[in-house]
Amino acid sequence: MDRRSFTFSALGAMAAIPLGGRAMAAGYPSRTIEMIVPYSAGGGTDLVARAFADIANETLPKAIGVVNRTGGGGAVGLTGIARARPNGYTIGLGTAEITMLPHMGMASFKATDFTAIAQLNADPSAITVKADAPWQTLEEFVAHAKENPGTVRIGNSGTGAIWHLAAEAFGKDAGATFNHIPFEGAAPAVTSLLGGHIEAVSVSPAEVSNFVAAGELRMLGVMADERVGAFPEVPTFREQGIDLTVGTWRGVLVPNGLPDDALAVLREVAATAGQSEAFKAQLAKMNLNHAYMDADAFQAKIAAQDEFFGELMGELGMAR
Amino acid sequence: MFDFSMLAQGVATLAASPMALLMAVIGVAIGIFIGAMPGLTATMGVAILLPFTFGMDPLPGLLLISGVFFGGVYGGSVTAILLKIPGTPAAAATAMDGYALTEKGQASLALGTATVSSFLGGTGSVLVLIFLAPVLARFALNFSAPESFALAVFGLSIISSISGSSPVKGLIAGMLGLLVATIGLDPMGGFPRFTFGFPDLYEVPFIPVMIGLFAAAEAFKTMEDPARRLGRAAKLGRMVPPWDKLRSVLPTIGRSTGLGVLMGMIPGAGADVAAFVSYNEAKRFSRNPENFGKGELSGVAACESGANACTGGALLTMLTLGIPGDAVTAIMLGALTLQGLQPGPLLFQQHADLVFTLFAGMVFCYVAMLVLGLGLMRIMGNVLKVPPALLTPTILVLCMVGTYALNNSMFDVGVMLVAGVAGYFMQKYGFPASPVVLALIMGPMAEANFRRALSLSNGSLDFLWTRPITVALLALALLTLFLPVLRWLWQMRQGGGGARRSA
Repeated sequence: MDRRSFTFSALGAMAAIPLGGRAMAAGYPSRTIEMIVPYSAGGGTDLVARAFADIANETLPKAIGVVNRTGGGGAVGLTGIARARPNGYTIGLGTAEITMLPHMGMASFKATDFTAIAQLNADPSAITVKADAPWQTLEEFVAHAKENPGTVRIGNSGTGAIWHLAAEAFGKDAGATFNHIPFEGAAPAVTSLLGGHIEAVSVSPAEVSNFVAAGELRMLGVMADERVGAFPEVPTFREQGIDLTVGTWRGVLVPNGLPDDALAVLREVAATAGQSEAFKAQLAKMNLNHAYMDADAFQAKIAAQDEFFGELMGELGMAR
Repeated sequence: MFDFSMLAQGVATLAASPMALLMAVIGVAIGIFIGAMPGLTATMGVAILLPFTFGMDPLPGLLLISGVFFGGVYGGSVTAILLKIPGTPAAAATAMDGYALTEKGQASLALGTATVSSFLGGTGSVLVLIFLAPVLARFALNFSAPESFALAVFGLSIISSISGSSPVKGLIAGMLGLLVATIGLDPMGGFPRFTFGFPDLYEVPFIPVMIGLFAAAEAFKTMEDPARRLGRAAKLGRMVPPWDKLRSVLPTIGRSTGLGVLMGMIPGAGADVAAFVSYNEAKRFSRNPENFGKGELSGVAACESGANACTGGALLTMLTLGIPGDAVTAIMLGALTLQGLQPGPLLFQQHADLVFTLFAGMVFCYVAMLVLGLGLMRIMGNVLKVPPALLTPTILVLCMVGTYALNNSMFDVGVMLVAGVAGYFMQKYGFPASPVVLALIMGPMAEANFRRALSLSNGSLDFLWTRPITVALLALALLTLFLPVLRWLWQMRQGGGGARRSA
């Protein structure tokens, strides 16, 4: 840039100042936005992020680039989002873990360190058993577990992960004692269930849908407010007398302290892209449940979940 | 029983789709490149290419990914043999004898054998996938925590056969690896161990440690003695290994292919486990086991055919059950789902035509890998002619870039450099690096599965002797561990004590 054009742009910048937020909003984003994904490329969270970025980039003047920053069960990447410079050029795809990891002493951030942009997807926990298991309903399953305390083994995707807490909350609310078995992710847990080495899994409907459709597994109930679109015949927990909704969610998050104009742009883009038919279609292909929620509702949900998990982990003796 | 017309139709469909064939070749080429780079793994390559396949038809898209997968597993061997830089964990096993052959000036023989073995192992495994998939489909389900624990113990016992000249130093290195493997989140309770407050240490940074121990350590060593790498390009002659050499390793390739397919089918065990197990069995059945580690051709053949045979096994479980056996097949599962092909029990019934075309395409991928591998060998071999003053810094830069690229983490680069310094001193004092890598692979697997097995049985240790697969694997582990000792005792008696050795 030569001296003359520098002078001009400096003048231009000065002239822009009195115009305030409006002129700034037109300026954001002026360069590439980095979206941190705290899990590895190719996984569910990554696919949601990439599908969202692809569609958002059609309307944004500068592209969103996805960066995977893995490790620590998501803690590394989530810390990266919370501690990013709040200028709108580092955003993240956050998950339910922001309301869980801090209570276990596994993260240096708190759920309140994030500002919500929009929730994109949510999947409930579901209790799934083998198709040849004797239990047809949740009630029969719970009755069996109460008669044989500690012998019913429920596989989850790792200690302290969402599906483990869902199963713990289930045991607490149903008054039954389960033997919780952690695996390295949902897939090995499902494998173990198929092999008959455990009695049930508490992972999401998407992670067992294949086997339920093939008639190898049976879903007894989902921990959601409403029945899941892909499995309309499976009742919710509430319908079966246990008032419990637990699930994971994924949404766009930014660090606190973002300028208002950047927040407004991001929320608008997220509203358009997050509710577009193209995005819904991509999620459906991946068996993920589309659940858009705007910033205010999403922020309130994060606060409520933070409180729920804080209490639950305190009762379970997992809080540190 | 087997419907050959389906397969013939698949071959015909494949031949009529040039786009699919092109994507297969491109995939293999990218895979070989990615595999050869330290730090870039097949998993990462597949993940990066996945979004590009969204817009493609299913066949070209899936063959692109398969090509990267196959090429990535093979590509690791090239740099392992030429420079002792394993591009992948599996290639750490190949490096043991492959690099020894290069030091003897037989780089082209080692590379050629590795390529042909990879081709035969991989193709063999795809043939198993084609013809035996329905028969073997449910094998993986027999593997629960006790079996996986026993497999990991068997894997650890292999330390005794990869320790080189000094079993004691090998055991020390293995123990060191086990200690390092305890860093991170406790696999059952999720409690952080030895992390000193760094979330980066919640998972053992395994690949950075491996890159440091092998590649960076080797680079440091070359800095100390620049003459080390000179004069090895001399014998880079014929590409296809001579028939008599090849014939002598064929039984090894056959055995390793079988083992590789099995390891591939077992959830949680991948190409790395397959390579080490195949190496161990090749040594066990060899007429001259003492030659292993000093440049034994069948050692290279075993690792490469075993690692590549894993691909077919992993795909078998993934396609028939919808269960991914490793990270790559987990991503492929996503790719198939996105293409509207739900892997699992129904896939073969609903999409049989596409499945068989895909199988034919996979065999084609391996043929492409053979041709590309042999063709590129001469070019890649030229790396040996690069003067050390240029090569060594380049290797160090590659180590750092590759490590950083893994997780976009400078912390990992630091871990890699620390491991490099440790590896340098280990080499200097004669401690082998492979037992550390093996312990890092097997240690966490053994611990997590032992504790999971205890949890599954409500605290009872009965699983150690009531489950046939577990008992067989544990017996094999004992045998592997004590066979060298027994053999040594036997020699002592034969030689009347005269054959006493320092080991």
